Amino acid sequence: MDEAVLRRLCEHVGSSLGAVHVKGGKPRLLQRLGGYNEAARFGPWAVLVDLDQDRECVVDFVRHWLPNPAEHMRFRVCVRQVESWLLADREQLSAFLAVPRATVPHDPDRCGHAKHEMVKLARRSTRRAVREEMVPRPRSGRPTGPAYSARLIEFARERWRPDVACERSESLQRCVARLAELTAPS
Amino acid sequence: MARARGNGRPGDGHISRITRLELENWRNFRRVDIQTEGRVFLVGPNASGKSNLLDVNRFLRDIVAVGGGFRAAVERRGGVSTIRNLAARRNPHVGIKVTLGGEAGQPAWTYALEFGRTRQGHPEVKREEVTRDGKTIVARPDADDERDPARLSQTFLEQVNVNRAFRQVADFLLSVRYLHIVPQLVRDPDRSVGRSNDPYGGDFLEQVAGTQVQTRRARLRRIREALEVAVPQLQDLELDHDARGAPHLRGKYEHWRPQGAWQSEADFSDGTLRLMGLLWASMDGSGPLLLEEPEQSLHPEVVRYIPQMLGRLQVRRSRQIWVSTHSPALLEDPDIGLDEVLLLTPASEGTEVRQAADVEEVSTLLAGGATLADAVLPQTRPRGVEQLAFFPGGR
Repeated sequence: MDEAVLRRLCEHVGSSLGAVHVKGGKPRLLQRLGGYNEAARFGPWAVLVDLDQDRECVVDFVRHWLPNPAEHMRFRVCVRQVESWLLADREQLSAFLAVPRATVPHDPDRCGHAKHEMVKLARRSTRRAVREEMVPRPRSGRPTGPAYSARLIEFARERWRPDVACERSESLQRCVARLAELTAPS
Repeated sequence: MARARGNGRPGDGHISRITRLELENWRNFRRVDIQTEGRVFLVGPNASGKSNLLDVNRFLRDIVAVGGGFRAAVERRGGVSTIRNLAARRNPHVGIKVTLGGEAGQPAWTYALEFGRTRQGHPEVKREEVTRDGKTIVARPDADDERDPARLSQTFLEQVNVNRAFRQVADFLLSVRYLHIVPQLVRDPDRSVGRSNDPYGGDFLEQVAGTQVQTRRARLRRIREALEVAVPQLQDLELDHDARGAPHLRGKYEHWRPQGAWQSEADFSDGTLRLMGLLWASMDGSGPLLLEEPEQSLHPEVVRYIPQMLGRLQVRRSRQIWVSTHSPALLEDPDIGLDEVLLLTPASEGTEVRQAADVEEVSTLLAGGATLADAVLPQTRPRGVEQLAFFPGGR
């Protein structure tokens, strides 16, 4: 899902993704961050990670994990999860999930847990498939349903409007600006 | 049988899935009692019995299948003595019980079959029971069976004239599909000889050819679209017949020649063929789909999306999907529920099967940020596997 979002953002700033390193889990990605940073001395790199509940403040988080960012490294942290950026296009999202627009939060950056928020919305959907794909069963032990990611990838690719979402999410706005720097001729 | 209606949702009376599976003395399982969801992921070391567990569903299907029947189904598997668990003691019989249903408003059915052998060594039904919402529909042996024991060489399930009261159960079991495409068999020019409904894909192309033209075109188009990501060079996909009338898949590949180049399935890669088979099977039929290690020959990044695809398929077509797997990439999907994963652990009395949701260590590891693959695969790692590194021995 993060990949689909990043891809859209790159298109948005008039660029495209090269090789994508999907790392299956934040801990693993952070472990490899040093290597990516090394590579970013020679070419553009964008790393996207969710802050989740790790720390209070993004600045602390970044300082801890990437004290010396390389020239072409853009390390972006979603506050607190990439879902918050998707929530920021309220109009499209409410249509996509078949829920009233008023139920989509106004200030996604302040959502303590955007993933929960997304599942809560899906639970209210009038469409059975949305509920069954996105909402977890009681015994699943997971926060999300069986095809939660597939749904949101579809949304990110086909419906989500980064420019509209930027108006509601400052964190997304900053991310777009940093990505634009990468592609701008220096 | 109850067919899918307009939006792909099944009609009334349709059974969506097996919700519970109970086994006694089935092959390498002494006793199994598990709940199953819309997707079922079987994880276990080699030879722990993943295929044997899938085979229960195929066995029931074989009983109902045209040209099948209880006796043939048992004999195809080498007879009762091969099927029966070696550790079977108190009860010398093999027992299978499935609970069917799955959705609110649907009746809950159970079908139970217990069998052993006669003195002459022939398979014999010892008990057959069908219930609907708790009410008994069939209970054998009945008075007629007592009078004429030869009747016990057949189940009621396979007999159209007596299974009317539970035809839905028979139809459901008949709709089970098993797929384990072996690319070499698909490519084999003699593949069509005497094979039909071959789980290894020997008749895959015949199946494609036997589908109504419009349906076939639509499906091949969707397969090509789905393959766009995994096999971007593939521009077109169609079915063709050679001079002998044998069907072939032809794919048009982007190429240095401006028109592209056509290749037949003989030139497709193993991964492309397996993925095509998987996509075809997912669109074909509406009953439970059994997939044997779908990750084989595929790039891990393609494998990563298989669970999501199956998740959508299961919800949208109300179809149960059973998957055996060893693949970390597949199990890393964060949306796989712990109630969807069955762990197979070999023990001296036969393999034990547990839902990952019931294994405390798994939930604890996940809470600590591990992926399901991290949490589950070590549970099924063969003991002493490092010995393999010392092969061959000697000096």
